[in-house]
Parts: sequence; C-alpha cells; structure tokens
Amino acid sequence: MSEYLPILTMLVLALVFAAGSFLASALLAPRKPTAAKSAPYECGIVPDKEPAERFPVRFYLVAMIFIIFDIEIIFLYPWAVIFRQLELFGLIEMVVFALAVFVSFIYLISNGALDWGPARRTLATTSLTPGRTTDSTVRRISRTGETIEAA
Amino acid sequence: MYSKREAVGSVTLAGDPLFGGGVDGAVVLIVLLKTGVAFAALMVSVLFMVWFERKVVSDMQNRIGPNRAGPWGTLQTLADGIKLFFKEDLLPEQADRRIFRLAPYLSIVPAFLAFAVVPLGGVITIAGRETRLQLADPPVGILFLLAMSSVAVYGVMLAGWSSGSKYPLLGSVRASAQMVSYEAALGLSMAAVVLVTGSLLTSDIVSEQSRSIVDWNLFRLGFLPFGIFLVAATAELNRPPFDLVEAEQELVGGFHTEYSSLRFALFFLAEFMSTVTMSAVMVTLFLGGPSGPGPDRGFPGAFLPVFWFLAKLMIFLFIYVWLRATLPRLRYDQLMDLGWKRLIPLSLFWLLVLAAMILDRRYGFAVFGAGILLGLLLLRAVQVGQSATDDAAGAAPAVREAG
Repeated sequence: MSEYLPILTMLVLALVFAAGSFLASALLAPRKPTAAKSAPYECGIVPDKEPAERFPVRFYLVAMIFIIFDIEIIFLYPWAVIFRQLELFGLIEMVVFALAVFVSFIYLISNGALDWGPARRTLATTSLTPGRTTDSTVRRISRTGETIEAA
Repeated sequence: MYSKREAVGSVTLAGDPLFGGGVDGAVVLIVLLKTGVAFAALMVSVLFMVWFERKVVSDMQNRIGPNRAGPWGTLQTLADGIKLFFKEDLLPEQADRRIFRLAPYLSIVPAFLAFAVVPLGGVITIAGRETRLQLADPPVGILFLLAMSSVAVYGVMLAGWSSGSKYPLLGSVRASAQMVSYEAALGLSMAAVVLVTGSLLTSDIVSEQSRSIVDWNLFRLGFLPFGIFLVAATAELNRPPFDLVEAEQELVGGFHTEYSSLRFALFFLAEFMSTVTMSAVMVTLFLGGPSGPGPDRGFPGAFLPVFWFLAKLMIFLFIYVWLRATLPRLRYDQLMDLGWKRLIPLSLFWLLVLAAMILDRRYGFAVFGAGILLGLLLLRAVQVGQSATDDAAGAAPAVREAG
C-alpha cells in the first residue's frame, strides 16, 4: 500500500491549498452583500421563473446508456491486462459481450433515443404577455446597490 | 508469451524502487519533497499555460495580449490571481450553501491528483535512495486516471446544481451529459493501450514504448485510438470546440456563473490544470512519455528525459490553444452525435480488431470485416432513429403558428 503514500500526501496538500486560499480570501475580501448581488444572475433581467426542476428525459437516457457502457469498460480493463493469456477464448468472449451490448445500442439508436436534432416544433411561450416590458424585466440598480422598483 | 506475463507481474510488485525496502523516515521525507516539487511544477505550469494561451490566441488574432506584468506579460496570471483574493465572495441566496462550497474542492483536487501518476523522467537518486521522477506509481495507475477524470464531473455538476440559478443548472446538466458521453470513448481508447502493454502501471506503459520511436503507441495502435483520445479528451476538458458547458451566448458563464472571487479562481485553475494533466497523460499513453525519439540509451542524465517530456507536452498545449483560436463551437446535437454514434462504436471496433490482430492476422481481418458490416447496420439505425424523431415532431402541431 506504500505506493499510495505520495497520492495521499498530494491529496492533503491540494486540500490544504484550497482551504488556505478560501481562508485568505475570507480574510482579505470585502463583504457587502446586497439583495441585487445575491439574486440569481441573469445579466440584469429579473428572473420570472424558478430554475427548472425537470429537464429533458434524454439526459436521463444518456445517463442510463452511459452506465451500460461504463460497465462494459470496467470489464474491458482486466480483460485487456490478461488478454495474452486468454488468447482465442478471451477474444470470442469479448466479441460476444460486445455484440450483446451493441445490439441493445442499435435498438436505442433506431428508436431515436440519442437523437438530439434541432427541435422542429415551437413551444408556446407564455411569457410573451403585453405586461412584459423593459420596465418589468430589467433590473435597475442604484449606486449603493439597492434595486430600484420600476415606476 | 507467458514469460512476458511473469515479467509484467514482477514489475507490478516492484513499482517505485523507493518503496522496495519498506517505509522509513527518509522515504517519507523524499515523498514529501517530491510532492512539494510536483505541486510547485503544476502551479507554475498552470500560470504558464494561462499566459501561453492568451499570448498565442492574441497573436493569432493580430493582437498583442498581456504585456504589462513582468517580461512579456508572463506574470499577468499571477497578478490576476492575487486580484481575485481581494474580490468579494458572493453566496447566492438561493444556493445550497454546503454543496456550493464543496464543489470547487471536487474540481481542484482531482486535477492535482491525476498528475501524480504521470512519469516525468527516468530513475534518479536522492540521498542514496533510488526513485522514479514520478510522484506515485500505483498498480492501478490507468484506473486511477479514469477515476479522477470521473470525480471531476461531480465538481462541475454540483456547482451548477447548487447555484439555484437557471443558467448554471442548464450548463451543468449539459456538462455532465457531455463528460460522461466522452468518458466512454476515452476509456475505450485507453483500453487499447492497456491491451498492447498488458499492464495498468503508467511506468510500464512508458518503458514498453521506450525502445524506439516506432514502439510509440501512436504508431503501434494505428493512430485511431490516439485520434479518438485527443477528441474525447478535448470534450472531457470542456475545451473549445467542445466548450458548450460555458457557451457565453446561451448560458452566461455556464456552471460557474454564480461563482465569484476565489471560488471562481479555483474552477479556472482546475480547468487549466486538467488541460496540462490531460496533455501529460496523452504524452504518456501514446507518445512514449519521457523517452526520446531514438533508442533508449539508459537515460544519460535525469533531465534529458524531462526535456523530451516537456517538448511533447508543449505540442499538445499548443494544439489546445490552436483549436480554441480556430474552430467554432459545436451545436449540442452535433456534440452528442459525434460522441455516441461515431467515437464510441469506432473505438470499441478498433479495440476488438487490435485484440484479434495480436492473436492472428486472419482473426484480425475477420473481426475487421464483421465490424464494417455492423457499422453499416449502425448507419441504418441512425437513419431510422432520425426519421422516428422527425415523425414524432411532425405529429405535434406548431403551436406558435396556430396561435
């Protein structure tokens, strides 16, 4: 296990460096939070929606397919290390395994599971209302940092 | 064939000669010294890389670039870093405070650790103890590299998720999908190197390539794994043209939009450090690490190999800057298509062809032919998939036109 000693010392050094930097920053930096500063940053536009809690299901699909491929890769590494001993048996085993994964991959692809293409339908934009003007969407901030309410 | 396995096995047990005779006080001191030197070298290389990138990009755009702090502006990065210490550190009110604070650590620590297993040179002697110019040589070297590049995904994902803001969330969801997609291609092309070396030790991978330039894995593996690794590594690092994670026009600053002051500085540091580390990994895996272009003459001085290593490293650092100055950003669907529909099947195919070629040329050609047929099947599947998506989209009426 002594081979891992340098990794441990590097881990400690990296943590100390990061923590020390934060400490130095906390001591040196000013701290004058205002409501405008600690609001979510949207380039001066007042956020009118909460951040989305749901995102497209394709991201979940990617995560699931990744797990399948990651497991395949995990099996590939020990196989690659001792491949010269396994010889033909190892090759046939891995070709069969890769084919099994590949068949499911083909099925996914032909279902369009990994197809991100440009969206061809346009979504209804509920935010396009007559009341939505620059007065209601642009945040105006005074010199002292307070938000100025729209007139 | 079997004697080779035993040779590899004995190397696995030996590892770094420093630990051959157990761990005593002197060994611990040498380890601390090496850690300090590696840490300092990494920090200096990051400072250099940031300056180098700004200078080369500005040259390519007919600008001058930083030229005030220090000779040729070399101290500009340091000045920027010191400035960030004095900047206000904002904590957004909607943020998940604990995770918001944790994320920069998860980003910077793997960047430091991954560099530890990269061999920088031959064996040197410090105070009568022989040791490699390599911080650590654990028996799971390659797996350790993969693990660190996976942990770095958490830093990006948690930073965006905990910010409690729209754009960081979108940036981090994109980032994690992108990074896991390209990690698969990265792992598959790395497996090809493990296959021909028969060992997970980075020092074995380097010594296996040290005989002459034709033994470099770049040539031995037939360029393809190297090409895939280069593309996948660029995507894994979120470097242009794969920097959709921080696409300014769409996402403000991406996952670190809400980060300011030193927390931002650490993300920035981690990003450039990962670039240096990933370039070093590419040199190790495919370009023979610290070995020169000729046959290995037993490393006359400890620093000639270091010179070769740095020379090769510079090639990749320049390539990254060059890519940034040249190529426009990919669209998200192009990014995912490139990763899933091209790089992953291609790298798996080439890995199996290489394995078959090691046994017998005939098996190799058989696997190659079968792979071409399956590739055609994949192309057909892509077509079917696209038309299925188009049909689904066409079935829904275009709302804006109707209203």
